[in-house]
Amino acid sequence: MATFERASPALKEILLRIYNAEKPIEVDHHLYEFGSVEYYIKSSASEPFTYLSISTPLLSQGVFLSYGLSPYTLQMVRDISIDALDIVEPPTDGYQLTLRLDFSKLPHDKESLKIITEVSSVQAVILSSQLKEMLQNVNSWDISQGMYKPIKLIYHPREPFYVIRQPQKIVAVFPMRFKDHSDVIIATSFFQELMDVGSSGKWAKVPHCNWSPIPPPELIGEPFEDLSTNGGFVSFDISSHHVEGKRLDKTVWSLLNFYAYVKHHVKCTRGFIQRRMRRRMDSLVQVLEKSMIEENGEIKKIKGWKKMKKWMRLTSKSKMIKRRYHDFRKKMKRIRFRIKIHGFARFRRRWLTMPNFSSSMGYTQLKNNN
Amino acid sequence: MANPLKLYLTCVRNTLEAAMCLQNFPCQEVERHNKPEVELKTSPELLLNPVLICRNEAEKCLIETSINSLRISLKVKQADELENILAKKFLRFLSMRAEAFQVLRRKPVQGYDISFLITNYHCEEMQKQKLIDFIVQFMEDIDKEISELKMSVSTRGRLVATEFLKQFL
Repeated sequence: MATFERASPALKEILLRIYNAEKPIEVDHHLYEFGSVEYYIKSSASEPFTYLSISTPLLSQGVFLSYGLSPYTLQMVRDISIDALDIVEPPTDGYQLTLRLDFSKLPHDKESLKIITEVSSVQAVILSSQLKEMLQNVNSWDISQGMYKPIKLIYHPREPFYVIRQPQKIVAVFPMRFKDHSDVIIATSFFQELMDVGSSGKWAKVPHCNWSPIPPPELIGEPFEDLSTNGGFVSFDISSHHVEGKRLDKTVWSLLNFYAYVKHHVKCTRGFIQRRMRRRMDSLVQVLEKSMIEENGEIKKIKGWKKMKKWMRLTSKSKMIKRRYHDFRKKMKRIRFRIKIHGFARFRRRWLTMPNFSSSMGYTQLKNNN
Repeated sequence: MANPLKLYLTCVRNTLEAAMCLQNFPCQEVERHNKPEVELKTSPELLLNPVLICRNEAEKCLIETSINSLRISLKVKQADELENILAKKFLRFLSMRAEAFQVLRRKPVQGYDISFLITNYHCEEMQKQKLIDFIVQFMEDIDKEISELKMSVSTRGRLVATEFLKQFL
């Protein structure tokens, strides 16, 4: 199964390099990921702190952003490491969040690696904290409020999904789009399996999953370009049970990476189909090769010239002669490139060319194997 | 092998045995050229009547014969969209590697999924009976392979769906 890393590998490598360095080093890196996430890491030899700034498109463009990152998000980031990490106010110009890291306060054991990994996943922490905030309030809505306006969230560029609050549950709807028609078919088959598995008794505790080719009624009124898809709509019903305790983190991460999961599965399936086709092709070719007529014992060739008969009987000897001739020809060519002798080309064409042993008068009699 | 399929394949085999009587015949239009007449179709006297063998509306086999060549076109069963794309992918995969098969045509005849072109030279290099066996076995294997591919894709989807849903537990 594919595991989707929360931590940015490049950022983790840089932070580990700074942490493991024997003396403070100068670092000034700009990192770009997925086309829209930007990190800026600055560390100088004169200062004991490392500054990490991050700019990421946030999930929702709604009310959460009116004053920057929500206090809940900032608290989630602080909880990564209370000792070694501090939030700098105001953030660096052009970035949403700036952290000050003090590596000297990190423990000198495996715990330090865990903290650095958590710091490298700060982008995932910011985005998942927004969704957590929404999902944590599953039961806090009055039934009389009825249906609520869908909230559009963007985790991957050009792949928005919707979260709709309903009484006793939250529905997450994913409009699915694929570039290739065969991807659509493979994905549709996967969604049907997802529905089948989710509806079985053994999996009663997981969020109820539904797939439909048309937009669900909850999305009526949304822009047409967001609702035009070729892969249909997948929806998950998240109840309070799925957001209790540690399950909240897993639920949020699974929902945020649903698109990537599906795309990865489609890609792996295509690779699997390709490998299987290749193997089958090899077996089919082997069947055809068995139908080839063998040279010795299966053919009786009748030639017009006696000399030709003699030569054909000694097939192995003629092959040996041919091989020797080819070697000699190669050698002559090599020599030819070094030294050019006038008139040698004509001499070679007349005396050094091997005569053609096949006869226009001769015919081939095939042995009847039946 | 199921009975209807066996009858279909037997009919194809018998037709191929009768049709695969090929001989060398130089081109009548162009000097020193030797072309498969079934592809050109310029001289009607060199062509035999094509035979269409239908198992059902979705599966059929067209056998076109001429004096020096034989063309076999197959339409493969495709029950749903998944089988449709799998058949299309697989047969296109094979067609693109036609040189490995020698008797396979790079592009299928219009209206069919895959085509073979057998010439008198192939009959000289290969045994006729085994060539016919290959064609018949190919038809059988294609059906089997597409069914197995479909089942494998569904099984993979189920396993992946199970793993995804486990994360919520």
